[in-house]
Amino acid sequence: MFVARSISAEHKDLIHDVSYDFHGRRMATCSSDQTIKVWDLTDDGEWQCTASWKTHSGSVWKVTWAHPEFGQVLASCSFDRTAAVWEEVVGESLASTQRGQSHWVKRANLVDSRTSVTDVKFGPKHMGLQLATCSADGVVRIYEAPDVMNLSQWSLQHEINTKLSCSCLSWNPSRLHLPMLAVGSDDTNPSAGGKVQIYEYNDNIRKWQKVETLMAITDAVHHISFAPNLGRSYHLLAIATKDVRIITLRCLRKEPNAGANPGGMSKFEIRQAAQFDEHSSQVWRVSWNITGTVLASSGDDGCVRLWKANYLDNWKCISVLRGDGSVTNAGGSSTGGNQLGLTNTGGNFGGSRGFKQGGSGQSSMWY
Amino acid sequence: MSAARLDVLWSPSHINQFLTFGTEISLYKADRITHGQVVTGSKALAQGLIRLSDDTTATLLSTNTDIQYMKCVAWYPKKEPEFLLAVGQANGRVVLTSFGQDGAHDQYGLIGKEFVPRHARQCNSLAWHPNESNMLAAGLDKYRSDSSVLVWDINAKYIADSANSPDKSRIHRDSVGSGEGPSMVSKPLVELGASETALSLAWFTHESKTLLVGMNNKFLKIFDLRDVSRPVNVALTKAVYGVAIDPHVDTRIASYVEGQVSIWDTRVFEKPVLTLTEQRHIAKIAWSPTRYGLLGISCKDSPVVKLYDIQHSGVGGDDYEPAIIERSVQACGEESLSSFAWHPTHENRMMIITTKGNMTDLTVFERISLSWSPHSSITWACGKRLHHMTAHPTCTAEDDISIKMKRRARNGYGLQTDQISRNADMAPEDSDIRTLWHWLDLVRGLRDEGKIRTVGKGGFKYHGVKSVIKGETNMAGVCMKSDLHYGTLAAGVDKRTIVHTYRSEDRSRALQLCGWNFEKEFRALEDHLERLEGEGEYERAAAIALFNLKIRRAIQTLNKGATSAAHSEDAGDLNLNVVAMALSGYTDEKNTLWREMCGSLRTQLGHPYLRAMFAFLTEEAEGFQDVLNESGLFIQDRVAFACTFLPDGRLVEYLDELTCEMVKKGNLEGILLTGLTKDGIDLLENYVNSTADVQTACLAMVQACPSDVSKDTRVQQWIESYRSLLDSWRFWHQRAQFDVHRNLIDPAVKPPQQVFVSCNFCGKSVSSNMLASGRARGRPMGMRYGSPQKSKISSCPGCRKPLPRCALCLMNMGTASGTNHAAKPNKEEKQDYSKEAKQNKFGSWFTWCQTCEHGGHADHMMEWFRDHTECPVTACHCKCMSLDSVGTVTSAEETIVK
Repeated sequence: MFVARSISAEHKDLIHDVSYDFHGRRMATCSSDQTIKVWDLTDDGEWQCTASWKTHSGSVWKVTWAHPEFGQVLASCSFDRTAAVWEEVVGESLASTQRGQSHWVKRANLVDSRTSVTDVKFGPKHMGLQLATCSADGVVRIYEAPDVMNLSQWSLQHEINTKLSCSCLSWNPSRLHLPMLAVGSDDTNPSAGGKVQIYEYNDNIRKWQKVETLMAITDAVHHISFAPNLGRSYHLLAIATKDVRIITLRCLRKEPNAGANPGGMSKFEIRQAAQFDEHSSQVWRVSWNITGTVLASSGDDGCVRLWKANYLDNWKCISVLRGDGSVTNAGGSSTGGNQLGLTNTGGNFGGSRGFKQGGSGQSSMWY
Repeated sequence: MSAARLDVLWSPSHINQFLTFGTEISLYKADRITHGQVVTGSKALAQGLIRLSDDTTATLLSTNTDIQYMKCVAWYPKKEPEFLLAVGQANGRVVLTSFGQDGAHDQYGLIGKEFVPRHARQCNSLAWHPNESNMLAAGLDKYRSDSSVLVWDINAKYIADSANSPDKSRIHRDSVGSGEGPSMVSKPLVELGASETALSLAWFTHESKTLLVGMNNKFLKIFDLRDVSRPVNVALTKAVYGVAIDPHVDTRIASYVEGQVSIWDTRVFEKPVLTLTEQRHIAKIAWSPTRYGLLGISCKDSPVVKLYDIQHSGVGGDDYEPAIIERSVQACGEESLSSFAWHPTHENRMMIITTKGNMTDLTVFERISLSWSPHSSITWACGKRLHHMTAHPTCTAEDDISIKMKRRARNGYGLQTDQISRNADMAPEDSDIRTLWHWLDLVRGLRDEGKIRTVGKGGFKYHGVKSVIKGETNMAGVCMKSDLHYGTLAAGVDKRTIVHTYRSEDRSRALQLCGWNFEKEFRALEDHLERLEGEGEYERAAAIALFNLKIRRAIQTLNKGATSAAHSEDAGDLNLNVVAMALSGYTDEKNTLWREMCGSLRTQLGHPYLRAMFAFLTEEAEGFQDVLNESGLFIQDRVAFACTFLPDGRLVEYLDELTCEMVKKGNLEGILLTGLTKDGIDLLENYVNSTADVQTACLAMVQACPSDVSKDTRVQQWIESYRSLLDSWRFWHQRAQFDVHRNLIDPAVKPPQQVFVSCNFCGKSVSSNMLASGRARGRPMGMRYGSPQKSKISSCPGCRKPLPRCALCLMNMGTASGTNHAAKPNKEEKQDYSKEAKQNKFGSWFTWCQTCEHGGHADHMMEWFRDHTECPVTACHCKCMSLDSVGTVTSAEETIVK
C-alpha cells in the first residue's frame, strides 16, 4: 500500500534533481533557480527544509550525497561550468542543534570544465572519496580528495575524452569489480554511434580505458544508472533514452582482480534484459531501489512507472503513477485501484514478449 | 495568413475560460471531468461537451459574430469588466466588444466603443497595457506619413479643450458621439512611428509605459511613452514579427521572421543573444507565464509545439552563449496546428488549436527527476513541486525483496544463534528459506551430537549429501562400497516381494542429512511420520512409510488422512481412502491388471507424493526415474530415496545431475546436496542473482565460518553488502549483533581495540582491565603496594597520580569500570565480573571531546550541553556536541520508540 504526499518545495523554478542520502533521512534538491535545498525527515515523518542557499550562477543540474562516513557532504554541478563540494557546518547557533537551519559551506569549486557540467557523482565508498563529473563538451573528470578529512583539496586524477557530449554518468557500485563508470551522451545524431560508453580503471597502467560502447543505443541518453550490486555476479544498468532499457553486463573473466591478464581489459557479455516504450516518448530518469530489484522511470508522458523482474528475469510494469500526483479520471477503473501497490500484478508474469504491450493496461494507477 | 486563421486566448482572470477566434469569437469553459461523468458518445454531444484531453472537457458558453474582418483580439487584463475584448479589424478600427446582447456587462459604457485611425489600414497587433489597463496599443500598417502605433485611452469620453499647451499636445481627448449608435473615438492618446509599419507590438511588464514594436521588416524599436520623439532602443533585424517579452525577465525578448526566432537582451540590443532556426515558417511564439525562460514555438503546417528552455547564467562574457534545452510536444496526432496559448497561471498548461478547429488542453510535463530512498519510498520532482510516495510494508509474499529483507532484519532474522531453526520463522512466506534453516539446524544438531564430523579438505562445517556420498567426509576420503540388502516390501501382506536397498556408513550419514535417520533408531521413523500427520501432510507421510518398506503403515496413514479430511470438511482429500485401497491391492506380479491400471492412472493423481508412491510400486527396472524426477517432491525425500534404492554408480550420477540442476537454478533446497561448500556458494550466487536476497545468503554462509568458504570473495561481498544494507536502514543494533554473532563463529574477524586511554604522567593505560592483563604478562603494577590498599579509582593505577579533573565538577575523574575485578582477583567469577562491569553507571564515565580534548563526567557533560553549545572550559569555543553531524541521525530503533 502506498501513500502519496505532496511537499511544497518552494523552489522558484524547475527542480532538476532529487537525491537521498545513505540513510534516506535527508534529501537534497536542486533547481534552475540556482539553489540547493536540503530536507530533513522530522520525527513525525514530515520533510522539513533545513537549508536553502544559492549555489551557482546557473541552473543546478544535479546534486548528490557522499557516504556519511565522509561527513555530511554534497556535490553539485551546474550550467555555470563548475561543480562544487559542500559540507554542512553545524553548531553555528543553539538553534542548529535543534535541527533548525543548518549551514553549508563550499569546500571546493571544480572549475576545470569549459562547458556546462551535466552530472556529478561520488564514487563507491570502498574507493575512498572520489568524484566524477562529466560535461557537455564530452570530458569526464575524476577527482580525488587524498585526505578525506580535508574536503577543500581535490586533485584532478583523470580526464577521459568521450568525444560525445555527455549528459549523465554512473559508477558501478560493485566492490569486486574494478572501478567502472558508465557515461551517457545526449547527442541526438544517431550516426554518431553508441551513446553509452563504459570505462574501467586499469590498475596496471593507472588509466581509465574504454571497455565497451553499447552500440544498440543510438538515441540521446538522458540518464543512466547502475543498480546497487548486492552480491550479484553481474551488473545491471538502466538507461533512459527514447525508451527504458535494462542491460546486464556479465564479466567474462572469473577473477577480475587476478593478475593472469595484466593490462588487459575486462570482457563483458552484454545482454538487453528489457526494453519498454510505454513512456511513448523520451524517458528522462531511471532510479533503482536499494536492492536493485525495482526500477522507477519517468518520461514525457508525465508518469512515473515502476518495473520489476520475476524469477525468470522477465521485467514487467508493476505500477504507473501520475507525475503531478493527481488522480486520473482516465479509464474510470480507478476505484478498484486504490489499494493496489507494488504487488498488484504479482504472479501474472506472462510470456517474455507479451508484457511489452500489456504493461500499462494491466497495472493500475497508483496514487 | 488567411483571415480565418484560428487562434486561441486564455482568459486573464477566469482560470477555466478561453476563447477562440477566426471569423467569429467563441467563449468556452474548460472543466475537469468529474468522476463517472460520461464524456463520449451522443449524451456528451447533447450536453455540448467537447473533449479537450483525458480529463478536461469544454463547453461553449457564447459566440460573438458581430465583428467582421477580425485581425487580432486582446482580452482586457483586469477582472472587471469581465469578457471585455478589444478586436482589431482589417480597416484599422479597434472595437471593444463582449459576449451576450444584454447590457448587463456594460455598466462601464465601454462595449461597442470604436477607435478609428485617421486612415483605414490593417490592424496588425493589439496589446493592453498590463497595469494601466485603460491604455490599449494598436499596431497598424503604413499609410503615408501617418503614425503606425496608436495608443488609445478607452475611457476617453470628452473633447479636451482646444488649448494646445506644448506638453499636452500629444494628448488628444476625443468626444464620443452624441449618445446614439456606437461611440467613436478618433484621437489616440499617443501616436508613434510615423510613416512606418508596425507589425507586432508588446508592452513591457515591469517598466511602465514602455512599448516594444517590430517595424518595417527592419527594426525592433523600444519606445517610452514619456518621450515619444525617438525610440529608446533600436535593433536592426528582419525578425520583427510576434514580439514577445519574457514575463519574468523584462530584458529578454523574442521575435521571429519566417523560420527563425531571435532571442534578444535589451541591454545588449545590437544582436540577438540566440537564434533558433526552424524547418518551417513560424506561426506563433509565446513565453511561458509560469516558468523562467521557457519559449513555445509553433510552426505552420506542423503538428508540433516546440519548447525551448533557455538557460541563463550570470557569469561569462561575450563568448558565453546561453544554452537551450529543446523539447517537442505533439498532442493532436498529425493534424497541423494553427495556434496555441499558455495558461496564465497553471504551470505548463496550454491550449492548442489545429487548423481544423480541434482544441486540445495540454499540460506539458517537465522532466521528472526521481529517487528511491533506502526505505522503499520514492520521491519525484514534477516542475516546482515534490511528490513523496511511501510504501507501507504489508506482509505478503509478493513484497519486493527490499521490503522483505528489512522486515526480517527488524525481527532479528539470522541472529537466532542458539536455535538457528528459529530463523525460519522470520521468513514464513518463503518455504525455500524455511527449508534451508531447518536443514542447517538439523546438521548442526547432528554435528553437536557427534554423528557427523568436520573432516576433510577445507574444514567445511556443513557438508552436503553429495560430498558425503562421494566419501569426501570419511576417514579414508574415498567412496565407500555399499552393501546390498534385500528388503521385503509388503511384510505382513501375503505376497512377498523383494526390494533391493543399499546401505553403507556414508549412505546412512547422507540419510541423516535428509532427516531420514530411521535405520538406527527404531522410533525415529514413527516420530517422523506422526509429525507429518500432525501437520496434515498425509500423502508425504504415506510415501515415506512406503519408501521405508512399511506399506501397511502407509495405508494406515492414508486412512487417517481421509478421516481427518472428512472431519475438517476439507473436501477433495476423501479419495485418500481410494488410494489406500489401491495401495492395499499391491501385487508384485508383472503384467497384472493392477499394475497396468496403476501405471496408467498414476499420472492423473494430483498429489506428487501419491504419484511417486505408485511410480515406486509399478517400477519395472530399478531405475525409479519417475520417483527421482518427480519435481513436486521435497529434495530431501528424493535424495533420501536415491540414497536408499540406487546402486553406487547410479547414485553418484544422480546426485551430480541434481546438484548441477539445483546450482543452476539457485534453488535453496539444493543446499542439502551441496552443503555450505564451494558448490554451495555457486548455488547461493545464483540464488542471489535471481532474488537479490543477499541477506539469506550472507547469514547462511556466516554459519559455515570459519572455513575456506568464508574466504571466498563472493561471501565477503555478501557480508559487506548486507552490513551496508543494515547501516543504510539504520539497523545499527542488528548490524552490531550480526558482527558479534560472526565473531563468535569466526574469531578471526575480531576488530581491534578502538581507544586507548593513557595516564598523562606515566603514559600507561588507566584502565584496570589493561592492568589486569598486564599483570598476567608478569608486570605487577597496581598490587605492588599491597592488596588491602585499594588504589583510588580517581588515580592512575600505574603511577597513582590523579587523573584529570572533570571540567564541570572539578573533581578528579575515574571510572570504576573493571575495578571491581581488579579488587578481587582471586575470585574466579568471570560472569560475576562481567555483570558488575556493566553495572557501573555511565554517568560517572570519562567523556571527552575529540576536538578540544576537554571533558568530564558523562552525566555532567550531558547536563551542560543540554543548555549550551560551547565547551564548559574557559575560553574554549569548541562546539563539542554539534561537531558530530553523523550522530544527529538517529537509529531506526529510536525512531520506532518515538
